[in-house]
Amino acid sequence: MSKRKSKETSSVNGECISQVQRILRERFCHQCPNGKLFGVQLQYKHLLELLKRTTIHGESNSALIIGPRGSGKTTLLNHVLKELMEIKQVRENLLQVHLNGLLQTNDKIALKEITRQLQMENVVGDKVFGSFAENLAFLLDALKKGDRDSSCPVLFILDEFDLFVHHKNQTLLYNLFDISQSAQTPVTVIGLTCRQDILELLEKRVKSRFSHRQIYLMNSFDFKQYLRIFKEQLYLPAEFLYKPFIQKWNKNVQSLSEDRTVQDLLQNHFHCSKDLRSLHMLLMLALSSITVSHPFMTGSDLLEASRLCRMDSKANIVHGLSVLEICLIIAMKHLNDVYEGEPFNFQMVYNEFQKFIQRKAHSMYNFEKPVVMKAFEHLLQLELIKPIEGLPVRAQREYLLMKLLLDNNQIMDALQVYPNCPTDVKQWATSSLSWL
Amino acid sequence: TEIMNTRQQCKRIYSWVGRAKSSDQQLKTFQYRGISIKSERSLTEMCIQLGEFVLVEGENADQPFVAKLLKLYEDGSQEKHAVVQWFSRITELPLNKRKLLQREVSPQEIFLDKAPGYDTDINVETIIKNVKVIPLAPKEAVPVRSNRKQIFFVKESWDGKCFKPLSPGSLSELKEAEKNKRVGSPSPLTDCQTSDFICSLKAETDRVTRSTVKTKNVQMEIESRHSASKSSLSKERHSQRVANGINTPGARKKLQLNSMYTAILYPIQKMVSNINTSNTMQNLLLVFEGFDFSLQPEPRTPKTPRNATPRIPIRNQATEKPANVLEEARLRLHVSTIPGSLPCREEAFQDIYNFVESKLIDGTGGCMYISGVPGTGKTATVHEVIRCLQQAAENDELPSFQFIEINGMKLTDPHQAYVQILQLLTGQKVTATHAAELLAKLFSTPGPKRKTTVLIVDELDLLWTRKQDVMYNLFDWPTQKQAKLIILAIANTMDLPERIMMNRVASRLGLTRMSFQPYTYKQLQQIISSRLNHIKAFEEDAIQLVSRKVAALSGDARRCLDICRRSTEICEFSSQKSASGLVSMAHVMKAIDEMFSSPYINSIRNASLHEQMFLKAIIAEFRRSGLEEATVQQIYHQHVALCRIEGLQIPTVSEIMAICSRLGACRFLLLESNNKYLHVRVRLNISQDDVMYALKQE
Repeated sequence: MSKRKSKETSSVNGECISQVQRILRERFCHQCPNGKLFGVQLQYKHLLELLKRTTIHGESNSALIIGPRGSGKTTLLNHVLKELMEIKQVRENLLQVHLNGLLQTNDKIALKEITRQLQMENVVGDKVFGSFAENLAFLLDALKKGDRDSSCPVLFILDEFDLFVHHKNQTLLYNLFDISQSAQTPVTVIGLTCRQDILELLEKRVKSRFSHRQIYLMNSFDFKQYLRIFKEQLYLPAEFLYKPFIQKWNKNVQSLSEDRTVQDLLQNHFHCSKDLRSLHMLLMLALSSITVSHPFMTGSDLLEASRLCRMDSKANIVHGLSVLEICLIIAMKHLNDVYEGEPFNFQMVYNEFQKFIQRKAHSMYNFEKPVVMKAFEHLLQLELIKPIEGLPVRAQREYLLMKLLLDNNQIMDALQVYPNCPTDVKQWATSSLSWL
Repeated sequence: TEIMNTRQQCKRIYSWVGRAKSSDQQLKTFQYRGISIKSERSLTEMCIQLGEFVLVEGENADQPFVAKLLKLYEDGSQEKHAVVQWFSRITELPLNKRKLLQREVSPQEIFLDKAPGYDTDINVETIIKNVKVIPLAPKEAVPVRSNRKQIFFVKESWDGKCFKPLSPGSLSELKEAEKNKRVGSPSPLTDCQTSDFICSLKAETDRVTRSTVKTKNVQMEIESRHSASKSSLSKERHSQRVANGINTPGARKKLQLNSMYTAILYPIQKMVSNINTSNTMQNLLLVFEGFDFSLQPEPRTPKTPRNATPRIPIRNQATEKPANVLEEARLRLHVSTIPGSLPCREEAFQDIYNFVESKLIDGTGGCMYISGVPGTGKTATVHEVIRCLQQAAENDELPSFQFIEINGMKLTDPHQAYVQILQLLTGQKVTATHAAELLAKLFSTPGPKRKTTVLIVDELDLLWTRKQDVMYNLFDWPTQKQAKLIILAIANTMDLPERIMMNRVASRLGLTRMSFQPYTYKQLQQIISSRLNHIKAFEEDAIQLVSRKVAALSGDARRCLDICRRSTEICEFSSQKSASGLVSMAHVMKAIDEMFSSPYINSIRNASLHEQMFLKAIIAEFRRSGLEEATVQQIYHQHVALCRIEGLQIPTVSEIMAICSRLGACRFLLLESNNKYLHVRVRLNISQDDVMYALKQE
């Protein structure tokens, strides 16, 4: 009887766990407007009112949303748009044009895209007819003919706004801002950027036409709020299908957030970067350890995830090197110490390695030069060393000047965890007087 | 290009018909009864007499002007002149007046043009050929005769302000002219007979698209279908050429129907050959010419959208009206609202107005250069001037003029300026190089019906090219006597002519210059007050604060209005409304703060602990090395040391690199953009003092 029952619960759990995974992954990966916003109520209201006035009163505007990467600029905008679209009067009266500086790399492409998204009459299917000049004239004509009372307002959203600034003459920006400041079709231009110096990049005519509305997102929360965000991000929603599971899960999240080690870990994470995207990354990694047999997140899951997040990429590569390659890196480290970071070449490294072999090594086999060269080139391929730029590439391989892309700390840390490292090699690495 | 070429090839020779009728001894002028036009290549000759209607070369080669020949004379310098009565096509009339007619107008209908200000004395060499014009009584409808473009109907007259039916006097006069011609010519072919004849022809020419008949050697020229889309004029010229060059190897392929048609046409030829005056023949030819034998063109795959109208969809619900004082104020303070008057620019307004007015009255051209920093009302003032001038022209206080505008920032390439100017002037759409040629021709030759053109060139500096040909041409045209072109060039630097223009361009621009100074705080105050127009939404002090602040910064009126608008929003949504409910100093202060305060300090304070630490490490490294630049590796060492002091977990190199690139993306730092990893060089993009200040406050 009890056996059957446990089997039943576990089968429920299987379905249930995949639901949990789905819901939470969606939350972490998409900038979906369903989640909650944290600490941006003022900005939210400002933007909402602005867009409302655009659609309902036909008022033209322009604004920039500025904030570091991962601070929730797009999420904020999506939230606002979602709320706006619930108002009937807005839904029926707003045209949206979405541009991205990474996709529309010049004004010609951007204009075609605008024309296409507005479905103007020179568009057939997905194709926009006419030359660049014709498209511009056509679009400007269309927008000029409209007026505040009768035309449908157009919302231009320019993601990666700073990239549009580099377009020739800033023609697109000038025209968009000019329309927003003249009695034509009502438009609102919203730019999203992470650059704090964005206003200095605008040409003076363009700058004068920009309304100087700037909405800053700063991640301005402290650790207490961060903890709350952590909880909010993990809580299951009330409309989750498996009701009894919600309570258990949420209780576990609550206890996690009170756990000392988890708090320390989150604190460290918070110190490193405050943006939510990196928190999502951490939680995503922890979430993937959730299985049917391990249905609740534990402190060790988070610890493991945090270890993965913090991992040093170059030191990771060092773990996989052969002893000979490690020896070469140590030789380079000593050269760096002796010559204070001046570049070296293969011959110098080889000499240093020879010294080690002859004087100190007990366990190391003396490899032939071509073998050492091969190991050296492998390091080059792994980009642990890099040739110096601006020098003739013709030089013999042995004498090409190189720089080491590892810091001493990284080398020492990597050696600590290197499996089966010979003691004499370790000693050689730690000795500051390498030639003794 | 087809039209241009044919025009150049078909050089016409003009000679007087008959002897000088009367002469003025003093002025040495001789009057004549008729003129004969002989085409040089073809041997076609036509004779036009006083009282007949002619086509006159105009700005648009597809649509020559229509006029009635009143007088032919030769002046002392032996130049042939003609005095004409102009008729206007509907497309030549001002757009806003066309709706006065309240009916559809066929392209064949023309109007007796009594509007003042046209030059009625033209050079004879601009006459292309004669044409048939049929006067209609007011009640008669314009007959629908498709494709006979070379017959015109006149029904109403136009005096520059309104349309009137032809007065009985002028109607009978026109009819008389028409009748005289018919009576004078013994041709039995009346209009309806001709068309009957053609109908009989039509049955036999089912698969034939076009036909033309020529005077001297009456030939049927049957061309294949592909020429059907060309304009009628070019077709006519083309067929002239072909007709006369039949034996040349380049002649078009003809269907072997020639003999049959010659046979049919023979009687006509015989009839016509008796006639001395070639008038009727000409008319007959025109009828043939205009008649289209073609079947409907096969339906092509209509892919390319032609004549797409640029428009934005209409909104579904009406806009809401402002509900309270603040919303009303916000509406009025929007930069886009066109104010009833432009305060503080009265002097500039007057200067520009006088300049353009004097040129208009003299019928000459000229340039004026207007400069000033952005937001000082240059374009607004110029537009206001044009509006007033148009008003004056409408009230007959000034000769009427044509107004066009281009903007350097709204062009994709400086040479597109030609395309836009030509399109705005004549409605033609051509390539940039062709447009330049046509414009040069237009402005260098005397145009009989030309009105003065006022051209605004905004953002002039963007028309700069390496050879400066666009600017050169723009400023060269007004210097020509016939151009009647007034250019108002606007840019935002005062010394633009000296800085970027070659001497020959700057010299043509001339010295008529005007510069707009940034607004002073009193002017800004006045601007806000006049816009608000007695709506009590702001406290007096608040307006003064905005004006003083903006005047101190830039004197940009746009900024001023934007701040005011933002202040009304802040006021509306602020929790502690001032007692009066008006926008107060505090609101304005907040708006100014939002717009102008540097974001750096605040964002540094909100950065994560290690990001702040990294900035500290940078400063520490700068101090250590005494340089303003360091590699990430050096800063990393400083960072590690700082972490040890503070007892923090030491970040890995990957984390440090991430922090560094985050700070770089926000432009707190300037990074080298390459994959040198630890050796990337870093600089601060903010002053060290700012960083220290931001970090100290904690």
